[in-house]
Amino acid sequence: MTSLLTDHLLSSLIAVPFLGIVAILLVRRQAWARWCALASTLVTFGLALWLWAGFDPATPGMQFVERAEWTPTINSQYAVGVDGISLVMVLLTALLAPLCVLASWSSIERRVKAFMSLVLLVEGSMMVVFTAMDLFLFFMLWEVTMIPMYFMIILWGGPDRIRAGIKFVIYSLTGSLLLLVGIIGLYLEANRSFDLQAIIATGIPSDAQNWIFAALFLGFAIKLPMIPFHSWLPDAHSEAPTAGSVILAGVLLKMGGYGFLRICLPALPEGSATFAPVILWLSIAGIVYGGCLALAQSDLKKLVAYSSISHMGFVTLGIFVFNGQGIQGAVMQMFAHGASTGAMFLAVGLLYDRTHSRMISDYGGLHSSMPRFVVLLSVFAIASFGLPGTGNFVGEFLVLVGTSYVSMLKVLLAMGGIVLAAAYMLWMLQRVALGQPRTPGGALLPDLGAREMLTLAPLVIVVFGVGLFPGVLTEVLELTVNGLVEQALAGMAGSPPS
Amino acid sequence: MSPYLLIPALPLLGALALALGGRRLGERSHRVGILAVAGSFGLSVAALVEVARHGPISIPVYRLLDVGSLTVDVGLYVDQLAVLLLPLVTGVSFVVHVYSSRYMIGDPRYRRFFAVMGLFTFAMAMLVMSSNLLVTYMCWEVMGICSYLLISHWAGRLAAGRAATKAFLVNAVADVGLGFGVVLTFATYGTLDIQEILSKASSMDGQTLGFLGLEIQRNTLIVLCLLSGAIGKSAQVPMHVWLPFAMEAPTPVSALIHAATMVNAGPFLLVRMAPLLLLAPAAMIVIAVIGAITALYGALVSLTQSDIKKLLAYSTISQIGFMVFACGVGAFGAAVFHLLAHGFLKGFLFLSTGDALAATAAHGHGGRSVRGARLRSLALGALALACVPPLVLFTGPYERVWSAQQIPSAGVAFWAVGLATVFLTALYAFRGVVTLFGGSVGRSLRVRPRLSSIAHVPGLAVVAILVAAFLGGLWSLFSDFLGPGLPGGPPADVPSGLTPRLAWPLAAAVAGWGFAYYRHVRPASVPLTQRGWAKTAYVLLLNKLYFDEIHSALAVRPILRLSRWLWRDLDLRLIDRAVHGLATFVTSGAQWLARTAETALIERAPHVLASGLVSSSGWLWRTIDQRGTDEALERVGRLADETGEMLQVIGPRTLRDHLVIVVCWLALGIGLTYWLII
Repeated sequence: MTSLLTDHLLSSLIAVPFLGIVAILLVRRQAWARWCALASTLVTFGLALWLWAGFDPATPGMQFVERAEWTPTINSQYAVGVDGISLVMVLLTALLAPLCVLASWSSIERRVKAFMSLVLLVEGSMMVVFTAMDLFLFFMLWEVTMIPMYFMIILWGGPDRIRAGIKFVIYSLTGSLLLLVGIIGLYLEANRSFDLQAIIATGIPSDAQNWIFAALFLGFAIKLPMIPFHSWLPDAHSEAPTAGSVILAGVLLKMGGYGFLRICLPALPEGSATFAPVILWLSIAGIVYGGCLALAQSDLKKLVAYSSISHMGFVTLGIFVFNGQGIQGAVMQMFAHGASTGAMFLAVGLLYDRTHSRMISDYGGLHSSMPRFVVLLSVFAIASFGLPGTGNFVGEFLVLVGTSYVSMLKVLLAMGGIVLAAAYMLWMLQRVALGQPRTPGGALLPDLGAREMLTLAPLVIVVFGVGLFPGVLTEVLELTVNGLVEQALAGMAGSPPS
Repeated sequence: MSPYLLIPALPLLGALALALGGRRLGERSHRVGILAVAGSFGLSVAALVEVARHGPISIPVYRLLDVGSLTVDVGLYVDQLAVLLLPLVTGVSFVVHVYSSRYMIGDPRYRRFFAVMGLFTFAMAMLVMSSNLLVTYMCWEVMGICSYLLISHWAGRLAAGRAATKAFLVNAVADVGLGFGVVLTFATYGTLDIQEILSKASSMDGQTLGFLGLEIQRNTLIVLCLLSGAIGKSAQVPMHVWLPFAMEAPTPVSALIHAATMVNAGPFLLVRMAPLLLLAPAAMIVIAVIGAITALYGALVSLTQSDIKKLLAYSTISQIGFMVFACGVGAFGAAVFHLLAHGFLKGFLFLSTGDALAATAAHGHGGRSVRGARLRSLALGALALACVPPLVLFTGPYERVWSAQQIPSAGVAFWAVGLATVFLTALYAFRGVVTLFGGSVGRSLRVRPRLSSIAHVPGLAVVAILVAAFLGGLWSLFSDFLGPGLPGGPPADVPSGLTPRLAWPLAAAVAGWGFAYYRHVRPASVPLTQRGWAKTAYVLLLNKLYFDEIHSALAVRPILRLSRWLWRDLDLRLIDRAVHGLATFVTSGAQWLARTAETALIERAPHVLASGLVSSSGWLWRTIDQRGTDEALERVGRLADETGEMLQVIGPRTLRDHLVIVVCWLALGIGLTYWLII
């Protein structure tokens, strides 16, 4: 057993959530389903930590690689492995999943078994997406993540859930269709191979790089989302149940950024270089525009949703400046944003469970009735606008340092986005936590219980841990990112002058 | 491990203990805070002694970031400058802690109060000792959030929440400059270590940066960025609006953060980066102008305020403006001296005010109703002293630094601004004291010394020491001590002791007192009943030159309106509708295709095909299906039925079960592949 685990740690990590689903199907009572889900997410988290401990930051390239024949007809393999970037994403996914289960513990009352299975399904498939070294595998599981999200939204969502769900699916389908086109393009150009390393080694001809990049870019940009492809996000985030919002904002969006890093930069360096100026400006626009939109919101969940658009702008900004600091910053920002925005959605969810209202104007003066909640909400709010000492600050600062090699003006504009973030978060805090209750029941709301504290407290540690000791993540990222940057820059330099 | 590491660490540990230590501490929370801060005060004094003997100490702590060429080491660098400020920070913090332990009794958030105060003391001490610009920036922001948390301490008050948000946001705007400066410094020098930057500074002289189509000297731009941060944190015009509002905080907080320590961070940063400043003469002029405007503006507005805390706030603005002005003319030593004197003094004044306010709590915030012979003597001496430190500026011919830039009449401006500020300070200080303590209110409101007044003793002692030491020529000692900490420093031919030039500012101060006394003895008519410019000026100043309204009209409301317009009109109407429109277009396109293409072409083709198909399928059915496949199918059917029955045991056939089955199959498929690999 030990050798099975150690030899196939990564596959075990991927398998546990799926085995959890089977376990949930076998048990009869709903309470057991919850415990099954919690147990398998915790085991996954434990395995992810194990993976982290076993990961050797001094070795470049993929580690824990496992390969097996899968569909020989199209020359596709089951091939998984982790490098620094994958590892960070796997850790984030594994961290958020148990919290999602805890957050749905009592707020999901109907169809508990199905809900928990969906959470596990989405967790398992994201694990594959973040570790796949085969593009066909990557694409298939990318598609699979969409299905549970759709059902979560339309079955357990808010009042406008059907519209939001359909919008989500149509957007996602369009995106993945383009992604499929891009992937098939890569497949055809690289002598009919889905193996990413082989594709990178073959090198895609310059004339094909641009159109393939365009297709992949649209696929990833919709998922991320970059403006102007973002309009599915506010609806989906605000209508989804708490766990759904956490998964969406915390991990699902990061698949876009991860895709850029995993596929676009190494395999299509020239395409990346061609499109980079446009993407950088779109990122800046997204940072400022998302911030402005968040400022205009009167709905708590929508506010957090729009703030995600703003923060994901930093991710693409960091990726497309093509240097180590920018890219490490982008990965850091993805991790920190996953933790802090996930926490914001969890916190808003706890509030929603009590009052079934998401409107800011229904709250006020929570500091007296829910002091613990207000402390945690404040912590996550200030983390989310990147106060020094939190992981978000490290991410944003690294991205800005990376951007400074490209353009100081962009640095300044992106910083404007941080001010907007401080503005909408503190204004929200002022209206929700300070002052006097605006509804008669507002003063009577119960403070957080033990389980709810357990849901939020780990993220406080993560947010500050990464902020004060970013070395734990930058250490594993350093070699991977340096290799990636070298690959991308070499690819760009090798391009014939046009 | 150096023991001086404990100077910031003790308050931090105290704050953590209070935050996590649970409710058991309750009413005894202050003990943890007082103990921690007392410890760091003791160590600060020890550090002062050691630095005086052996020179600067540097203590590495840990490596925060190591990404490519960017390395950030958290470390402490205790030089002459830091070691002078540390006793101010920890000492005032200690006095304020002791004071608050009485003042805040009965507060429902007693524990939180001391936790945040501890965190603030940590951040400020760390800022003073920081050896890295990024760490400085981080502490800068942490202080900002502590200030936010303490201003909104009485969270039930709507005004407190608004003031806190306003304070943080104004600072956030200003800190964009500072943060930009940090990034730009790294881009220029390739390091963020302060000593390294300062030693490399001259090598970058003349290097320019193309920005927004302009070619700007890099050093000048960096200094302007640092100034932007200082303008926010130290409440300089035009970012000063938050400080008067910050007076919503409990009075001990005003004493510690908004008078004695945090607001001094701006001048401190400028002095810390002094060698860089000296390389950027253009930026120094901007610094001096902003400082001068703030000094005069604060003093003028102070003349019209009737709320004692707001009066003190504007006085703080003015005094810090003067320090910034001093930095701008290159008088760094004078700025630090003024900073220390003002810090101790203002903290002490606020505590006295808090006492007085507490004693007359029933009479609201207005400052016109307090009497107290004991307080009067204290406050008079203190306020009179508020005018003295600026005199130091006139001990050296600092106006020459300006004149060296070939600005005509720079010397005149220097003297005019300096003397006018001293005059106005004397005027409002005297007026404030007289109206506060010499008014004609009934004797029943006399302030009695309370137990918390014991906190005055250290404050009083400090004041006494300062007075004595100043008169005894502390300034020359002081500048000798600080000298090595200030590379660059004043021009070489500056006599550092007392000079006859001091007669001018002293005369200005005496004139201010005299004028105030004259107006007090023979009160003129109320300004509002006067005519012409006097009334206009009074109304303008009473409304603080309408800065709040200007900010609201030019920045806050336009941004909010823009945001709402962007959301409603651009995002929902345009982008979202475009998506829906696209969907509608696709749907109608599909319908059109169905109507035209299908009926015309596709529907007819099947008819042709169908007849052929029917006959061939008839043959297929008869030969293959009935004989071979049917049997196999029947077997599969039976199996399916059995599976169905099995599934029915699990639960009723709802949507969930369909889902579950799909999931099950997926899991099984992937599980199978997984096992195959093994």
